[in-house]
Amino acid sequence: MAIVPMKRLELYGLKRERKAILEFLQLRGVVEVHTPKEADTLFSRTDTSQASLEFEQNVQIPEQAVKLLDEYAPVKTSMFASLEGRPPVSQKEYDNLWKKAPALLGKGREIIDLGKRIADDSAQILRLEAQLESLKPWLSLDIPLDSKGTAHSRIFAGTLPEDLDEPALKNRLAQLLPKIPGVEVEVLSHQPQQTCLFCLCHKQDAAPVEEALRSLGFTYPAFSSDLPPAQQAEQIKQEIHQLDQDREDAKKDIISRANQRRELLLAADYYHVRAEKYRILGGLWQSPHVFFLTGYLPAEDAPQLLSDLENRFTLSAEVVDPDPEEDVPVKLKNGFFTAPMESVVAGYSLPGKNEIDPSSVMALLYYILFGLMLSDAAYGLLIVLGCGLALLKFPNMERSLRKSLRMFFFCGISTTVWGVLFGSYFGDAIPVIARTFFNTEITIPALWFTPLDDPMRLLLFSFALGIVHLFTGLGVQFYQLARRKKYADALYDVVFWYLLVGGLIVLLLSTEMFVTMVNLPFRIPGIVGTVAGILAGVGAVGIVCTAGRESRNPFKRLLKGLYGLYNVSGYLSDILSYSRLLALGLATGVIATVFNQMGSMLGGGVLGAIFFTVVFLIGHTMNLAINVLGAYVHTNRLQYVEFFGKFYEGGGRAYEPFAAHTRHFQIKEEK
Amino acid sequence: MDWNTMGIVFALLGAVLATFLAGIGSAVGVGMAGQAAAGVVTEDPSLFGKALVLQLLPGTQGIYGLLIGFITLTQIGILGGDPNISLAKGLLYLAGCLPIAIVGLISAKWQAKTSVASIALLAKKPDQFGKAMILPAMVETYAVLALLVSILSIFSIGGLAI
Repeated sequence: MAIVPMKRLELYGLKRERKAILEFLQLRGVVEVHTPKEADTLFSRTDTSQASLEFEQNVQIPEQAVKLLDEYAPVKTSMFASLEGRPPVSQKEYDNLWKKAPALLGKGREIIDLGKRIADDSAQILRLEAQLESLKPWLSLDIPLDSKGTAHSRIFAGTLPEDLDEPALKNRLAQLLPKIPGVEVEVLSHQPQQTCLFCLCHKQDAAPVEEALRSLGFTYPAFSSDLPPAQQAEQIKQEIHQLDQDREDAKKDIISRANQRRELLLAADYYHVRAEKYRILGGLWQSPHVFFLTGYLPAEDAPQLLSDLENRFTLSAEVVDPDPEEDVPVKLKNGFFTAPMESVVAGYSLPGKNEIDPSSVMALLYYILFGLMLSDAAYGLLIVLGCGLALLKFPNMERSLRKSLRMFFFCGISTTVWGVLFGSYFGDAIPVIARTFFNTEITIPALWFTPLDDPMRLLLFSFALGIVHLFTGLGVQFYQLARRKKYADALYDVVFWYLLVGGLIVLLLSTEMFVTMVNLPFRIPGIVGTVAGILAGVGAVGIVCTAGRESRNPFKRLLKGLYGLYNVSGYLSDILSYSRLLALGLATGVIATVFNQMGSMLGGGVLGAIFFTVVFLIGHTMNLAINVLGAYVHTNRLQYVEFFGKFYEGGGRAYEPFAAHTRHFQIKEEK
Repeated sequence: MDWNTMGIVFALLGAVLATFLAGIGSAVGVGMAGQAAAGVVTEDPSLFGKALVLQLLPGTQGIYGLLIGFITLTQIGILGGDPNISLAKGLLYLAGCLPIAIVGLISAKWQAKTSVASIALLAKKPDQFGKAMILPAMVETYAVLALLVSILSIFSIGGLAI
């Protein structure tokens, strides 16, 4: 229940077996390979980046193909898809992949080619449609656009940059060419800023006619064709139709390959894993016949791995205890109840050197604090049911998600307990429903007390819980220091603070003023208070004397000691910070009450019942969501800032073993 | 005007201010953080869940405001009961509502700025979500403290003999 002890693996093997050994290590997934940066000149590294890159590219092919499959033959995913996790694949099937993978790449390429065909066809269709559009003004012309004329005639077909109808155009031309007879002009179409015209004249008049047309802004069309426009349009339509057909065929072809999805994804995983293997391979130091590999592995896995390695390969391998100076990766291992805390710890920082894994210490208090902030039995039950069902129904769920859900499961239990203690079930839903619809008074009495009636009491309880939490943190610090045999530090940094803060609290509880102010049901006898005061004094003196112990200069030391004592204000603000337990706990209940009251505004009857149900569902869903978020965030804060502040720094590096990190499937070993 | 009947007016003013100012703060805050979150989600849609959590963090002040507003309404008898409260009490209710009204307004805005920064952090390092979440939560502490003072005041005023 703590940090897993790590060993360093030192392995020397035959170079020809290096790939097999790496594959074996990758399959086991327990060694974090950590090769030294420098080695004897006898050894060198092989550059495998090219191979690794190639495999990475091979990953892209099936993944792209699957993307296309998803586009044209989408798979229905359920609402809970994210809970399902990656589907399992048997070790045997995975092992056989190396035979199939290259063929699968081919299949992937085929799909990608089909995708390309679809894209090309679509682009071509767009281009043709644009052509068709530009042909439109010319459709009434019954000769090809690029006809130049006959033996004795000259044809001009083109556009003018203004909107002219036939009489207007003829008029203009007549003005420009008063002396040239027999100029035949036809306006094929005209629209704002463009007139398409056809003009025929005698060959010998070609030059002046062209000049006249030019002066009007005549240009030849941007495209040419040896077919009359109408015929050409027909041809283009044909082409579009064919392309469309082709596109549809390609789509159908892709859809017919939808059943290849699973295998393609397997191939992607296969190449991904191989790419990783080659990356590691590139880091290995090799001599002509030998290679060596170093890394870290959990001590508990070492004997099994060593014996398996020695049985399979010719190699020399040993595990040694790492030096205290080494940067050993951190792996946490915890039980069913405490393991969910690992992600909370990792969210802050993994334990550094000389620190313990705080998961087990914080688990119980984490659940208690969360429950107190949400504190509604019905909400708690909903969370318990939701998380419990999800955990049961989706056995393949990803591990980290599974842990998170388990955390909320326990938080839900705690929420339910607090809800029963405070008599809150969807806020005051039960009395409201009874009053509105059944005209009776039913109340479920709180097992302990109702916070709304006596917030002061809950506030004091929150502080008390905070003090327990903080003192637990200090206790962990004591343990950490004692474990390193730093007993003096444990006395100075922990025991004195216990004396000071604990003494002050007891002293406070024995004063008349405080007891009447907060309406305490008990009062600590004066003599105990006096003793506590003395102890606090001892603690204070101790802190003043020792907080600056690293300074030699006595004056500086005293000043630092006084500054250390000032930290008592830090404890005050830490304890006050636990008032959020009250605030958030009340918030849940009061907002629930608001919604219940809103829902009952229409009174009893059918209409009232419908209205109530709607408001109830929407309101409580929202309240639950917001308050779960709030409880989660603030529980984390209390753990990170107040609790960890007393003993924890973190800074550890996560253990990331060299393993088959598949992205689409989970490899399941047969039992 | 009879000043003695004005108690309820001031009390209601307090309840309204709490809901109103803290609500404005949260609306502004959630809006700011939402814009940043939307930017991040365009780059990586899988971050939606985490970005949403960070967006919602400055939203709690509005809820605290609603909470105080509602408790005040029940205490002063607007929602059934006896709305006859003295002028002094009405002013006390107003004063009791002010911490969450003002701190809620301002802390929500500053929390939103931290949220925006945290969302940027999330975009660059999605695995550092735990830390990104704690930074805005630090700002919220002061809203929680204000809420606490407001709650304690509102609950105690009813018992005063003035």
